[in-house]
Amino acid sequence: MAERKSALTDEIRGLIGVTAERVEANLWGIEREDLRRFTQAIMDPDPRYWDEAFARTTRFGGIVTPPIYCTYLSRKTPPGADDPITRAFLENPNSDGIGGVERSESRGALPPIPTDLKRIMNAGNEIELYKYPTLGDRIFSQAKIADIKERVGKDGSPMLIITIETVYTDQNGQVLCILRASSLRR
Amino acid sequence: MVTADELRKPPQRYYDDVTVGQQMPPLVLGPMTTTHVFRWSAAMENWHRIHYDQSFAVYHDGLPTVLIQGSWKQSIMPRYLKDLCLPDGWPWKVSFQHRAMIVPGDTITCWATVTGQHETDGLGLVDLDVGMRLQNDVETCPGTATIVLPIRGGRPVPYPFVPPKGL
Repeated sequence: MAERKSALTDEIRGLIGVTAERVEANLWGIEREDLRRFTQAIMDPDPRYWDEAFARTTRFGGIVTPPIYCTYLSRKTPPGADDPITRAFLENPNSDGIGGVERSESRGALPPIPTDLKRIMNAGNEIELYKYPTLGDRIFSQAKIADIKERVGKDGSPMLIITIETVYTDQNGQVLCILRASSLRR
Repeated sequence: MVTADELRKPPQRYYDDVTVGQQMPPLVLGPMTTTHVFRWSAAMENWHRIHYDQSFAVYHDGLPTVLIQGSWKQSIMPRYLKDLCLPDGWPWKVSFQHRAMIVPGDTITCWATVTGQHETDGLGLVDLDVGMRLQNDVETCPGTATIVLPIRGGRPVPYPFVPPKGL
C-alpha cells in the first residue's frame, strides 16, 4: 500500500511566519456614513456609533466603531480601480463573484499557499480587542501566516488548517485588535 | 433586540455580582431574511453569489439556499460581548468555531455562560462559554471568551485596554 503523501510540504511549512507589508486598510479613515451602513447591517443601534453628543459623555470620549469594524475596511474596492465584478464575469461568465475580485487585492497580501487543496472553509476565529477606532482615524493592517497544521479527514483525505494573524493599528501605532482567522483547505 | 435607548445607560454589570454557572442575558436576532443577508453583502462589498443568488447557491454550490455570511457571524459575537460589558467593562477576547450554516428563516440567540472568574492585577476577568444557537437548538458558533468587568471599589478597567501583567 502506497504511503500517503503529506499535504504539509516543506515549501508550505516554510511559509509559517511569513509577514506581509503593513498597509493602510482604507482610503479616507473612519467615516460616518460607512459606519451607519455597517452598524445597521449588524443590527446594533448603539448610540456610541452615531450620537456625537452622547458619545462624548462616554468613556470613549466620542463616536467609536463596533468592535471589529476595522477588520473589514480593506475588503472594499478603491475608486478608480478596474471594476473587479465586470472583470470577474468577463473572465468567467459563471464566476462565483469573488474569484477575480480577490486577485485585485494584492496590497498587503500574503503569498498563496501552494497546495492542490482548493476547497476553503472558515474554521474559526480568535479575536483580541484593545481599542475602538473613532471618526477620522486611519487604520493599518499587517497580516502574518501564524500557523499551518495538517489534519486527516474522516475519509482519510488530507486537510490543512491555516491560521492568518492580522494586527490592526491606528495612525499612532496603537493596536486596535488582533484577528486570527483559521481556514480549512481540503 | 436591544434598543438605542437601552444602550445609552445600561446598568453596569460588576465582577462582584457574577457567579460561575450564571447565564448572561441573551441577544436574539431575526428571523433572518434574504434581505438581511443582502444588506451585509452590500455593506461589505462581498460579492460571493452564494449569499444573494439563490439559483447559484442551490444549483452551482449544492447548498439548501443562500447562506448567512461567516463574516457577519464573526461581527455579531464581539458586538454581543460589548453589550454585556457596557458601559465601563471591556470585551477582551473571544474565539469561536463556525459549525452549522445559518440560513434565511433562522432566529439566532447569542448566549454566554460564566465558567470562571479571577481577579488579576486589580482587574475582574470573567471567562465565558459562548455561542449562537438557532431556534432548533443547533449551535452554530461554539466558543469561549474572556471579558473584563469593573470591581466595586477597584481600579477602572483601562481604555485603551491593557491586559493584566503576565496574561
